[in-house]
Amino acid sequence: MLLLKKVFAFVKRDFQNEISYKFSFLLQVFGIFINVSVFFFLSKLLGATQIPQLAQYGGNYFAFVLIGIAFNYYLSVSLYSITQSIREGQMTGTLEALLVTQTEIPTIIISSSIYSFIFATVRVIMFLIIGVVVYGLDLTRANYLGALIILFISIISFSSFGILSASFVMVLKKGDPVAGIFNGISWLLGGVYYPIAILPAWLRACSYFLPLTYALEGMRLALLKGASFYQLLPNILSLLGFTAVLMPISIYAFQYAIRLAKRDGSLTHY
Amino acid sequence: MMHSIELINLTKNYPKLKGYKDLLLHPFKKQYLPALQDVNLAIEEGSFYGLLGPNGAGKSTLIKILSTLVLPTSGRALVNGFDVIQQQKQVRRSIGLVVNDERSFYWRLTGRQNLSFFAHLNNLSGAEKDKRIHEVLHITEMEKDADRMFSDYSTGMKQRIAIARGLLCDPSIIFLDEPTRSLDPLSAKHLRKFIKDEIIYRHNRTAFVATNNLHEAEDLCTHIAIIQNGAIKSCGPIEKIKQQINAAKVYLVKLARHSKFTDLSSLQNALNVSMAPDDPNAFYVESPDISRLIAEIVQHEGAVEECTLKTISLDEVFAKVVEET
Repeated sequence: MLLLKKVFAFVKRDFQNEISYKFSFLLQVFGIFINVSVFFFLSKLLGATQIPQLAQYGGNYFAFVLIGIAFNYYLSVSLYSITQSIREGQMTGTLEALLVTQTEIPTIIISSSIYSFIFATVRVIMFLIIGVVVYGLDLTRANYLGALIILFISIISFSSFGILSASFVMVLKKGDPVAGIFNGISWLLGGVYYPIAILPAWLRACSYFLPLTYALEGMRLALLKGASFYQLLPNILSLLGFTAVLMPISIYAFQYAIRLAKRDGSLTHY
Repeated sequence: MMHSIELINLTKNYPKLKGYKDLLLHPFKKQYLPALQDVNLAIEEGSFYGLLGPNGAGKSTLIKILSTLVLPTSGRALVNGFDVIQQQKQVRRSIGLVVNDERSFYWRLTGRQNLSFFAHLNNLSGAEKDKRIHEVLHITEMEKDADRMFSDYSTGMKQRIAIARGLLCDPSIIFLDEPTRSLDPLSAKHLRKFIKDEIIYRHNRTAFVATNNLHEAEDLCTHIAIIQNGAIKSCGPIEKIKQQINAAKVYLVKLARHSKFTDLSSLQNALNVSMAPDDPNAFYVESPDISRLIAEIVQHEGAVEECTLKTISLDEVFAKVVEET
């Protein structure tokens, strides 16, 4: 209960901070609208052209790419929010004040990123609403529960990389190799803008080593084809596998990084 | 009496940052910068202990080790009996930290919102949290400004909120890292009085203040430790340290205007004679037996108007201790 109250305290802090920048808040809403519109008109360029690789997702490129960009945002948040919260704390000077409280470091770091996930969810909902209301995206067959399960497990899986990335930032301060490389590879091979089926065979094989590939496929099947839980099971199990392997490694790396930073006295340096 | 803080052979070395050349030529060679060297100190409950030292002496490092922000290289540090390495949670429960860094707050939030957030992190919630925030705002006289944005506060007000935050858990030990550094002399004086009366003596807390402001240390502290190059040079009650340094008694002797005595060099019971800067008839003299010295002056047809034992200031204590090393 106390933990939940602390998480809520972080969310409240971040919300109070965000809304104090009124213009920025409104700009973000505008940005979402522009983003969706760009891809709608791009998909119109393809018109009624049948693209065989899109068949398993219903054949509509706009629907395919909207879900790709909407849920890829979760990957970015997972990768960068924890790292950003550490850097921000170091540079603004608030990290030291947080670290002498009675709250453990992992709780501080992870709670600092919760607001980003909440905002990501709001963005995704707005993406989908604009897609449905303005551009006629068809979600009538969607299995929302299945999509939520995929989303939840995906976030945990992506967060492993975020925690690993944060470990590097804690020690190196700048020059974290994890987030940038992983994000770039995921964009190229994860199926965000195009189905992985169009990739050459050797690249396609690499995409199966990325959790984003399974997350986006599962999400598209759930929302566009209304796939059942059993049909989503292979994706769910793959994502659970990634989590089971990566999460313990990333947590260990993070704890080691904190010990190292405390030993070097650089916990609050940047 | 249990010691609030105990340092046992505490040492801290920081790794030296390597340049590209060293990284290439000596990748595995490690070099260290010593920050604290075999520090031993015991601070009693209820005392107001000052840690004095020039910049780079190790003051902030010591405060950070005691606050569990930095791990020591070797030795032990105990806060309320809890080890700073093995029992970090218990240590943090006992302490409040007041830093002189206004950036450690969220400037777009109000004072109250800031305190509410940190209260949550210190396991306070609900009615208990609200009550405690009300109390600390009252103690620090920030009640009527609590709902203004932190960025709108003056430096003095920011420092009061910092003290309020340090008091949220009602800690038995409070660390203050240069609490009045960025304040003007009048504000600093008020804040020091406030710290002494309201925070420490009324609630019998142990306070440990790191400062290089000797006037502040003399004003606030009952005990001091002088630290230089990571080592404690002198520690104990202020008056005792002054007596140790001023073991050779120095007197201010003022001769009467009509005194015929002028040849100070002829005095046999005088050591280290120097003229007082603002009075041609007065001089400072070190003497093991002042009554003999006065008798000698009288024998030489001198007349002593006044003779006082010079009180050595903390500035002089500090300068002597630091220069001797």
